[in-house]
Amino acid sequence: MDSNIQDAMITEEETDILQEIMNIAFGRAASDLAEYIDIFVILSVPFVKLLRSSDLPPYISAEIKDYDKVSLVEQNFWGKFKGSAFLVFPADSGKKILSLLDGSDEYFESDPINELEKETFREVGNILIGACIGKIAELLGDVITYSPPRVVVERSQRGIISNSLFAEDDLAIVLRTVFEFNEKNISGYLFIVTSEESFAWLKTALHNFLEQYEC
Amino acid sequence: MIKKILIVDDSPVSIKIIKSCIPKDRGYELFDAANGQIGVELFKQIKPDMTFMDLTMPVMNGFEALQEIIKLDSRAMVVVATADVQVKAIAKVHDLGAFSVVKKPPTRENIAAAILEVEDVLKARG
Repeated sequence: MDSNIQDAMITEEETDILQEIMNIAFGRAASDLAEYIDIFVILSVPFVKLLRSSDLPPYISAEIKDYDKVSLVEQNFWGKFKGSAFLVFPADSGKKILSLLDGSDEYFESDPINELEKETFREVGNILIGACIGKIAELLGDVITYSPPRVVVERSQRGIISNSLFAEDDLAIVLRTVFEFNEKNISGYLFIVTSEESFAWLKTALHNFLEQYEC
Repeated sequence: MIKKILIVDDSPVSIKIIKSCIPKDRGYELFDAANGQIGVELFKQIKPDMTFMDLTMPVMNGFEALQEIIKLDSRAMVVVATADVQVKAIAKVHDLGAFSVVKKPPTRENIAAAILEVEDVLKARG
């Protein structure tokens, strides 16, 4: 993305506000998940990027290039803040998370528990994506509805990300955060992508958020 | 008596928000640092009466910076201002010596109450 376009579409201050809002929202989501599973989520500084929708799949592929096979939870959301969320884990995480949930010893790779893994990812995705998007919407004064999640377990990461919700020439804002579950050495990514039609509302909402603190 | 307040946070917006929540009529001198490492260095230089500390930061995170500050001054008054509201994160910062925790986004009331609590302890210390 040309940096001039980026400057034109979203200012440095707007990026900072969005980054802070993502930080607050993912912190809340991690706390919700830590109440559900007895874990400690190590958080990192969120990153905000503006790109063309057509560049979204290669961008996310490049971000998760260290993972050969991945498991993915994808959920679309609608409100004034509209877009898609992608929660991505490396392939071997399903059994590790499952063992955290039911307290049993780690499952073997050969165990036929694909459906259980799918349900686990669906649940973890529901909590992390729902709480994170919900908090962003709450902080920005919006109400969101969600599509049912699409869960894909242990597939090659090539072509796994769709951008069907966005027109190819449109721009998209990507919020990315990386996290780790301390107990099982599991790391993952959450990408929240908002479509160009939300930009005007989002910019106003970001300024309104900050204005409440101005004297 | 609080004179100097240090705010350690990687987000310029968060620093702006915390500053805006600090009462203006008390003449506090405000300092800020963009990560834990700069925060520890500034702490050594200015010896603030209280510090607001974020947790999720690049270079040196708030857990490490808090630990360093408490090593420098075991009675340092560090209020953790964080979005990491996990029970384990809050327990960990208390174990490391944080005085209290303010959840983000802060409100004027939360920040004023945190400052007042620090004032009370400092007064009692004499």
